[in-house]
Amino acid sequence: MSEALVLNLVLFLPVAGMAALLYVPRAREDVVRGVTFWVMAVQFALAVWLYAQFDPAIPGLQFETRLPWIPGWGVHYQIGLDGYNILLVLLTAFLGPLVVASAFTAITKDVKLFYSMVLAIQFTMVGTFLAQDLFLFYLFWEAMLIPMFLIIGIWGGERRIYATLKFVLYTAFGSILMLAALIYLVVSIHSTTGITSFAFADLYRSNLPVDVQVILLAAFGLSFAIKVPMVPLHTWLPDAHVEAPTAGSVILAGVLLKMGTYGFMKIGFPLFPQATQLLAPAIAALAVVSIVYGACLALVQTDIKKIIAYSSISHLGYVMLGLASFNLLGIQGAVMQMVSHGLIAGGLFLMVGMIYERCHTRDLAAYGGLAKILPLYGVFFVILALASAGLPTTSGFTGEFLALMGYFVSAWPQFVRGDAFPLVLAVTAVSGVVLGALYMLWLAQRLLFGVLKAPGIESGPRGGQPPPFADLNRRETAILTALVAAIFWLGIFPSEPMSKTELAARHYQQTVTEKTSLSLGRGPGRGS
Amino acid sequence: MSWQTILTAMLPEHLLLAGIVVLLVREIAGGKPRASMWLALAAVYAACAAALALALQGYAAAPFPGQLSVAPPALLAKAILLGLAIPVLLISRDEFPDRQFHILALSALYGACLMVSADSFLTLFLGIEILSLPVYVLVLLAFRRPESAEAALKYLVLGGTASATLLMGASLLYGWSGTLGLAAFASALGSAEPLAIAGALLVLVAFFLKAAIAPFHAWAPDAYEGASVPVTTFMAVIVKSAVLLAAVRLFGTAPLAAPLVGVVAILPLVSIVWGNLAAMRQPGLRRMIAYSSIAHAGYLFYAFLGEGALRFQAVAFYLLAYGVMNILVFASLPPDADDAARDRLENLKGLFHRRPYAAVAIAIAMLSLAGLPPFPGFIAKFLVFKNVIEAGYTLYAVLGLVGSYLGIYFYLRVVQFLFMSPEPAGIPRAAPVTLALGAGALCLAAGVVMAILPGWVLRLL
Repeated sequence: MSEALVLNLVLFLPVAGMAALLYVPRAREDVVRGVTFWVMAVQFALAVWLYAQFDPAIPGLQFETRLPWIPGWGVHYQIGLDGYNILLVLLTAFLGPLVVASAFTAITKDVKLFYSMVLAIQFTMVGTFLAQDLFLFYLFWEAMLIPMFLIIGIWGGERRIYATLKFVLYTAFGSILMLAALIYLVVSIHSTTGITSFAFADLYRSNLPVDVQVILLAAFGLSFAIKVPMVPLHTWLPDAHVEAPTAGSVILAGVLLKMGTYGFMKIGFPLFPQATQLLAPAIAALAVVSIVYGACLALVQTDIKKIIAYSSISHLGYVMLGLASFNLLGIQGAVMQMVSHGLIAGGLFLMVGMIYERCHTRDLAAYGGLAKILPLYGVFFVILALASAGLPTTSGFTGEFLALMGYFVSAWPQFVRGDAFPLVLAVTAVSGVVLGALYMLWLAQRLLFGVLKAPGIESGPRGGQPPPFADLNRRETAILTALVAAIFWLGIFPSEPMSKTELAARHYQQTVTEKTSLSLGRGPGRGS
Repeated sequence: MSWQTILTAMLPEHLLLAGIVVLLVREIAGGKPRASMWLALAAVYAACAAALALALQGYAAAPFPGQLSVAPPALLAKAILLGLAIPVLLISRDEFPDRQFHILALSALYGACLMVSADSFLTLFLGIEILSLPVYVLVLLAFRRPESAEAALKYLVLGGTASATLLMGASLLYGWSGTLGLAAFASALGSAEPLAIAGALLVLVAFFLKAAIAPFHAWAPDAYEGASVPVTTFMAVIVKSAVLLAAVRLFGTAPLAAPLVGVVAILPLVSIVWGNLAAMRQPGLRRMIAYSSIAHAGYLFYAFLGEGALRFQAVAFYLLAYGVMNILVFASLPPDADDAARDRLENLKGLFHRRPYAAVAIAIAMLSLAGLPPFPGFIAKFLVFKNVIEAGYTLYAVLGLVGSYLGIYFYLRVVQFLFMSPEPAGIPRAAPVTLALGAGALCLAAGVVMAILPGWVLRLL
C-alpha cells in the first residue's frame, strides 16, 4: 500500500512545490530555483524507487489508487502504474530536474512564475500518464495547455505570442472534438450496458459498432495526432519549438509529444480496435509520410532549433509505425523510441540552448569548427547526434530498429498474400533512417568542424587568444552526462526496461488485434 | 394558507424586505450612510442562509396556491442568487457609498426571489418587473458618462419590450388553456395548436430577450458598457441567473417537444458562435464580458435540451461557476478614478508586474470562463454537454462545443495582455480595495471548491 502512497506523492509533489513557492519572496530567486530543483529531484528519486518496485510479471495496474470523485457521473480519481506509462513517468521525472537546472541562468525574467509554471506542467504531464480514468486524463491533458501557453508566451523568442497562440489554438481544437467523443463514448456505453464509468478498464470492454468506432477514433485521433504531431497536422510544432525558451522546448520535445503517442497507444487504438484495424494502412502511411517528410524538412533548415524540431516529427513517425505494426517487436520498439526520443531530442535542445546562451543566434551559418574551442561541447553534441541518427549501443538504435523490424515482420506475410502496400511503406520508412543520419551528421559537421566561425570570433586561425566564451561548465556537463548515461543505458541494456513494458505491449497487441478485449487485472468493487 | 406558512416559505423575501425597510427608514431619518452596506449585506446573508437552511431541510409549501410555491429547487435557486449577491455588494462599496444603491439592489433581489418561486405568469411578471425597475435606475445611478444614459434607455426599452412580449404570450396561453399557471407553457410546448405555439413562442422570446440570446442580444453590450462596474456585474450575474432559473421553472421537467427543439437549440447556438466571435474584437472589458455572457446564455439554454429532471442541476451549477468567475474578474479589476479607462483592455497590459495576485485571479477567471480544465467552468460545460448528448442531441452538442472553441481566443488574449505585454506608461497605481479583495477571495474559494469537489456541490443541487 505504501507504494500507492508514494505514487500519489510523485504526482502531487509539484503541487506542493508550487504551494511552497507562494511563500518564497519574489526577489529570492536562488531559493525559488533551489526549491523547484529539489522538488523535482525528490520526485525523480521516488519514481526510480517505484520503477524498482514495479513487478513486470503482474499484468495490469500496480500501486493503484481509486477513489470516487464525482460519484454521479461515475468519475473516479484513479491513478496507477502499468507497463504503458511506467517508462514515460520515469522519463518525465528524469527530465524534470534537468529542465530546471538548465534554466538557472537562461531565465532571468519573472523567475518565480517560471518555476511555478514548470512545476504545474510537470504535474499535468505526470497526471496525464498516470490517470486511469478518461475524465481525469482529459483534465490533465487539457490543463497542460495553460502552463505551456505561459512558458512559450512569456519567456519565448520574438514571435512568441504568435507561436503560443498557434500552439494552444491548434491543440485546443483537437481537444474539443475529443471532449465530444469521450462524452459520446461514455453515454453510449451507458445506454448499452448500464454502466456509467470513465475507467479505462471498463471502456476497454465496450463493443461499439464499427462505423461509430471510426468516427470516435477520428475525433480522439485528431487530438492525439496534433500533439504527436503527424503530418499534415505538424505546422504548430516548428513555431512553438523555435520560439519557446530552451526549457520549454525540452518539455515539449521530451514529454509533451509523447502524450500524443501515449494517447494513441493507451486510448485511441485499444478502445476502438476494429476501426484501428480498418484504418491501419492509412495510419501507417501517415507515419511513413511523417518520417520521410519530417526528415526532408530537417535537411533544408538553417535554424539549428528547427532542424531538431523537424527531426522530432520524423522520429515520432517511427513510434506511430511501431504502434501500427500490431506486432510485439514493433510495439516494444515504439515504447523505446518514445523514451529514447525524449532523451535525445531533449538533450539536443538543451545543447542548442547552451550555445544560444553564449552566442545569441541559432543560425547555423554563423557557426563552424566549434569543437576547436569547445571540445567538451563537441563530444556531447556528437554523441547526441549519433544517437539521434540511430547508432547501435544508443537508445536511438533500439527504438528505431525494433519499430522498423516489427513493421517489416507484419508487412511480409501481407506481401506474401499479395498486398504489397505495407512492404512499400516499410521500405520507404527505412530511407528515413538514411535521411536521419544525413541531416544529423551534416548538422554536427557544419556546427563543430571545419573553419572556426562563431559570432564574436573572426574567422581564421587565432593565435593564443582565449575564446570569447567558455566551454561547458559543471552544471551543464552534469546535465548532459545524466542524459548520455540514460541514452547508453537504454541502448546497451534495453531488455531490463523492456521487460517492464512487455505485458502492456502484449495487452495492447491483443486488444487491438482480437475483437474481444482482455480485462486489465481488475480489483474488487469496480465498475459501479 | 396560514400565516405561518407564508412566514416560513417566504422567509428569505421577508428578510430582504426587512432590510429594505430599515434602509429606507434610515434614509428618511438621516444618518451615516457608511453602515448601509453592512446592513444590506446582513439582510442578504440572512436571506441566503434562510433559503439554504430551508432547502436542506427539504421544505416545500405553497403559501399562495397557484401563484407561489417553494420546494428545495426554488429555495436553492434563491440561495444561489443571494449568495452571488454577497460579493457583488462587497465590490460596490467604492462606487456607491450611499444608501440608494443598496435599497435598489435589495429590491431587485426581492424580485429575483419572486421569479424563481412563481407558479403563475402573474407572479412571474411581478417578479420580473420588481427585478428590472431597480436595475434601470442602477444603470443610471453612477452617471458619469453620456453612455450611461444611453445604456439605461436601451435597457429600459428592452425591458419594456420583453415585458410586453411576455404578457402577450401569457394572454395567448390564457386564451388557449384558460389558466395563467406556468404549467400552461409546458403543455403548450407539446401542443400542435397555433394559438398554443404562438403563446409559447412569445414567452420564449421574452426570456431570450432578457437573457440576451441572439438575435435578441443587441442591447446587452451597450447596457453593460454604459453601467458602472458593480452594476454591470449585477446585470451579468444576478439578472441573468434570475432569468435562467425562472426559465427552469417555466420549462418544468417535461421533455422538449420536437418543433421547439430547433428554436431552443439553434438560437442559443447562434448566440454561442456570435457571442464568441464578436467578443474577439472588443476593446473594453465590459463589452467583451457582455458578448461572453451572450455566449454563456447560449450554453445555459443548451441545458434545456437535456433531460427534464437534470435541467435544474445543470443550470444551477453553470450559473454558479459562471457567476463566481465573472464577479472575480470585476473584483480583481484595478481601481481607477476614470471609469472608462478602468474598462480598457489595453490598461490590463502587464498587470502581472503591477499586481501579480489580481492578474492571476483575472487569468483564472478568464480560463474558467473559456471552459478550460481544471477550472469550474470546464466542469459546468461538461455537465451541460453531457446532458445534451445523453438526451440524444449529439450533433447540436458537437456544434456547441466547436462554438465554444471559438471563445478560447479572446479569453487567452486577456491572459496574454496580463502576462506577456509590456506595461503601458502612465498608469496610476491606486491602492487595492480591501472589500473587493474580500469579494475576490470569496469567489476564488467558491471556485476552488467547485473545481476540486464538484461531486459534493452537484449532490447539493
